[in-house]
Amino acid sequence: MNPDERRYTCEETFRRLEDYVDRELSAEEMERVREHLKTCEGCAHEFHFHEQTLQSLRNRLQRIAMPPALLSRITQAIRQE
Amino acid sequence: MQNRHTQVDTEAFEALLLPVLPKAYGTAYHLTHSRDDAEDLVQEASLQAYRAFHTFQPGTNFKAWFFKILINLFRNHCRKRKREPEIAPLDDAPDLYLYSQTAQTGLHKDHDNPAELVLEQMTEAQIRRAITALPNEYQIVCILYFINELAYQEIADMVGVPVGTVRSRLHRGRKLLQKSLWHVANEETPLSNLKLSYEGTPA
Ligand SMILES: [Zn+2]
Repeated sequence: MNPDERRYTCEETFRRLEDYVDRELSAEEMERVREHLKTCEGCAHEFHFHEQTLQSLRNRLQRIAMPPALLSRITQAIRQE
Repeated sequence: MQNRHTQVDTEAFEALLLPVLPKAYGTAYHLTHSRDDAEDLVQEASLQAYRAFHTFQPGTNFKAWFFKILINLFRNHCRKRKREPEIAPLDDAPDLYLYSQTAQTGLHKDHDNPAELVLEQMTEAQIRRAITALPNEYQIVCILYFINELAYQEIADMVGVPVGTVRSRLHRGRKLLQKSLWHVANEETPLSNLKLSYEGTPA
């Protein structure tokens, strides 16, 4: 198979970026996006920022710690059932 | 209800439940926007799961099973309380919203991670306001995604919709969330010395 035939355009890549970040593409699509990002600086830059933004959101939202007392409250409640 | 659990059942249940509680709490917190309500929701879901534990298929995904119970409980509470969004609903946002907005304000020149810069200067209350601007079902899908790092299929199982619905809600929801965060960040503590250029002035 000639890899050039299967090369994505920027638009085709961009449309798949979100699913690519989430690893929700087929193995073949993952590979084709990866190939495009290797050779296209513009898309690679967009991918980098998209991934970074999602990771920052994740970090910010995950900062909520469970109160330690909740655990014992729940196990007690279960044992009183 | 006929649910006399044996000691073994209880221990097996707790062994599955306890590891998923921290993420359940984080999810519940962002859904309810209150620490007290989050604790109540997680406790209620735990008890309901315990009572239904005989219906859980051993070897299947306990976390997905438990979160399904939690999400359903949350939806029931919303129905009862008729929660109103705190700020006006949003129109669709373009792709890479935070990216383009931070680029326009010149944040890209001096900062390696402009999105983080915006998020880090926001308070918990601001984050809460931004999330509540999303339609309820978008909030659910996005919070599950950001707190738990799940595959789309797992979210679909928890929420009870097809995987394609999760994909589209997630794609649109993440854009809306970026737009909402940007607006809230700017309306309460303007990113000083930066020229702001977003359409529409906050009410
Ligand atoms: Zn490209």
